Amino acid sequence: MNNYRDLHRYFYVLVCSFLLLSLPLTVFADSFEQLRKDSADIQTIQASFVQKKFMKILTKPLVSEGRFYYVAPDSFRWEYLKPLRSVVIVHKGETRRYTASGGKMIEDKSGGAQAMKIVLSEVTGWMSGKFDQNPSFTATLKEGTNTLITLSPAGKSMTGMIEKIEITISKKAATVKSVKIIESANAATRIDFTNVEINKVISSSVFQDVQ
Amino acid sequence: MKYISLFIGIVFLASCSTMPVITAPMLLATHKNLPCPSPFLKEKYQLIHAIEVNAAGNVQGAIIGVTVVDPYTRFVSCAIMSAEGMVLLEAKSEGEKLIIYRALPPFDSGDFAKNLIDDIRLIYFNPQGLLQKKGNLPDGSTACRWQEENGNFIDVIAGKPESTEIKKYSVGGRLKRYIKITQKTGNPYSIIELQGSEMVDYTLLMTLIEAQPVKTIKGKNSEKKR
Repeated sequence: MNNYRDLHRYFYVLVCSFLLLSLPLTVFADSFEQLRKDSADIQTIQASFVQKKFMKILTKPLVSEGRFYYVAPDSFRWEYLKPLRSVVIVHKGETRRYTASGGKMIEDKSGGAQAMKIVLSEVTGWMSGKFDQNPSFTATLKEGTNTLITLSPAGKSMTGMIEKIEITISKKAATVKSVKIIESANAATRIDFTNVEINKVISSSVFQDVQ
Repeated sequence: MKYISLFIGIVFLASCSTMPVITAPMLLATHKNLPCPSPFLKEKYQLIHAIEVNAAGNVQGAIIGVTVVDPYTRFVSCAIMSAEGMVLLEAKSEGEKLIIYRALPPFDSGDFAKNLIDDIRLIYFNPQGLLQKKGNLPDGSTACRWQEENGNFIDVIAGKPESTEIKKYSVGGRLKRYIKITQKTGNPYSIIELQGSEMVDYTLLMTLIEAQPVKTIKGKNSEKKR
């Protein structure tokens, strides 16, 4: 079951990285306290993403594409469309994971997906803008040409999983430039988000239907 | 009693034996010129497949497999990752040396990495060992049979158009692996179906996402040394 636990941590990191997008663009000055206040206004988020996986074994990064949806306080849909379709849905306290097999979306019945509930409680903290209060990470904010937020694992729970997460905010464009998850010296994941929409109505069917 | 045991043993082996007869062509010249089916890679390649996993008759889910293989050195490097991109297993094998960089449960159990790399070699590399027979199976398809040093038999069969089958049998003739390679989009490894018969029977259906040759620069692989 450890791999499921690791998968949840991994998923958690992906989701948490994404949630940083919800940070209002004007608050990247130097205040985590300000982040908490401004994050309270966020009701929904949706976006497309391109994920690039870097590994020494890969001559060029493996590119995945997908969509993300969030409705406060605790509904998520994280969906990969290419190259391998998979969906993780967290809704009304239930967590489901599906992968494409034989032309259908097959639910992961192993029980692993349910353990993602543990993740959810931590993500809720992030949604409240408590980026510097999550016991799993220590957060630093650095101003420069771009704003760089670095999250480092605080405890042993992420040992061997994540070295750090770097979120670069472009001051010029006033948008999130990149989220980079550094897993080890040999592996990293970079996620670029596009078409980010905040507080736009999201149908509840998004968290129910998987076809 | 000894003879009864021997008889039972023979009957048991015979019942397990599914290795078909390969009949050599009648004409010697035809036999000599009969080419063995060879879908195998001719140069170093990186392949990425989406892999659907079935075990014990149940769908287990889907993963992504990355493989770098060099047919000349028989070097294999591979990684298995979840759809989300989390690396579940990463290992490489040069000659007899197996290095496991990362293996999360259940991919850390027993000889999983070794068996995986054996399967990868079976799929992509020319069989090693002695060419024992070449000819035709009862259904008329061309087949060649090798026997490896460890006694296992490998059959490579030219199946239907644009597909090749590889079968691995134990010394006793038990079918251990069945592989069907189908060319669809120009790459011979577009679709690979692997059926394994171990403690738990399993099937992998691999659909090619990406394939590209890996350039080697004068005795030095373009792949960085770890």
